[in-house]
Amino acid sequence: MAFLSLDNIDKVYSGGKQEPVVALKHISMVCEEGECICIVGSTGCGKTTLLRLIAGLEQPTAGRALMAGKRITDINPDATLVFQQYSLFPWCNVIDNISFSLALKGMDKNIRYEKVRELIELVGLAGFEKAYPYELSGGMQQRAAIARALAYNPKMLLMDEPFGALDERTRHRLQEELLTIWEREKKTIIFVTHNIDEAVFLATRIYIMRDSPGSIEQEITVDLPRPRQRQSKEFIDLHIRIRNILGKILDRESK
Amino acid sequence: MRKRLLLGLILPAFILVIWELIARAVDNPALIPSVGAVLNRLLHPFNDLLSTGHYIHHISASGIRVLMGFTIAVCIGVPLGLLTGRIAALYSVVNPIIEFLRPICPIAWIPLAMVVFKTYTVADIFGAHYTRTIFGDIQIGMLFVIFYGGFFPIFINTVHGVISVKNIYIESARLLGCDKKRLFRKVILPSALPSVLTGLRIGLGTAWLVIVAAEMLPGSEAGLGYLIIYSYELADMDIMITSIILIGAIGALLSYGVKLVEDRTSTWQAKER
Repeated sequence: MAFLSLDNIDKVYSGGKQEPVVALKHISMVCEEGECICIVGSTGCGKTTLLRLIAGLEQPTAGRALMAGKRITDINPDATLVFQQYSLFPWCNVIDNISFSLALKGMDKNIRYEKVRELIELVGLAGFEKAYPYELSGGMQQRAAIARALAYNPKMLLMDEPFGALDERTRHRLQEELLTIWEREKKTIIFVTHNIDEAVFLATRIYIMRDSPGSIEQEITVDLPRPRQRQSKEFIDLHIRIRNILGKILDRESK
Repeated sequence: MRKRLLLGLILPAFILVIWELIARAVDNPALIPSVGAVLNRLLHPFNDLLSTGHYIHHISASGIRVLMGFTIAVCIGVPLGLLTGRIAALYSVVNPIIEFLRPICPIAWIPLAMVVFKTYTVADIFGAHYTRTIFGDIQIGMLFVIFYGGFFPIFINTVHGVISVKNIYIESARLLGCDKKRLFRKVILPSALPSVLTGLRIGLGTAWLVIVAAEMLPGSEAGLGYLIIYSYELADMDIMITSIILIGAIGALLSYGVKLVEDRTSTWQAKER
């Protein structure tokens, strides 16, 4: 039994008088425990919708989403989602945001602050514990949101272009940190991005999506050794191969 | 800070000068009292006014009425607003009647309040009318009108605060293990708080605003509004003007007090675009 399996999923949005929009069509994918799957595709191809289905925030119109063989019918307790938009609670400071899930568990203030200290250092926010989200830059907010998700310690991390707003150096550093956590904590990660370099660097497998309607174009297993070298021939070859596939999709659509 | 204070004093000083000039030109204290006469009243708040008691007595009468009416408005407006914002069906039930009642000026209800509540006071309800207490000065009709003025801003701002909680905060909390029960306390309440406080500030202002009208209800023997009517009947303009000035000053203070609380708890919302 697969850890996560999506079985021939369709998602149609029918909003009132407007034409129904087919966001996803015939999506099937499996994800084993401990994988790091990247989903690559152009904006608006339904990547976010896919994550929301896995998180249990939405239900498919047809088909089934299964977690360990059980249908996801409500909020998926084994997963948390790092949103693309800023999602920190504006009325909480950084440390209260990050330790939000621990407070829900009834953990004492001092204990939960101590517990997230390492995470705060990991995402480079030491010294900003008492700062409020409005006092942080976009990149810092996103790093806090990642730390908040990690503090919840779910089996599966769903990430919706979490590094999109970051500069390249920070982005590379956080990619490496994410891999460290992934290896150490044996997490399962589903990572949505439109950055090919990011996908090749992180993924055990890559799903390439095409849009209107969103569906899977191709699945690629990445078996490059880690740590991956961005300058290596294999890395560059794979990068070009994916870019060509995405390019073909674009060509087909513009015709 | 000091500069802002000085700038803020320019207009009041200007008005005082103009007022004094006009008072001297008219030279009739039954029409326009001099600045000095009013200042004298303000400086001696414990002096008796036409055998109705002193200013502190009237201020506390008005103050307690407003606070009681306002408290009732808060106790009903905030919980009802929170529920209405959360439950779509309740919103559909309540909203039309709220939108109908809201534009009716509280003063329009005064004659009806007079008929319905007559001159019953809070003391009558508690059966304490045999001794003279401050509750003997608080007519039910007055409370009703003050409540009416305070309720709508409180209710409407609370509903607005709850409705405009961003979905991403609710979804984030749910995905961090927050069940539906705790969602209210952990996300909806803190997110709506700035709007609720704005409602309280406006509601308190409105409650204070209608006090003059409420104190025109018969049976009233105290309060700043009562003083205005009474001094009008006796053509004592300096008591009238002093009462008006006090109403303005106290209203500004009340608003400033709530604003302090608001600023302490709602900085994040002001800074959020």
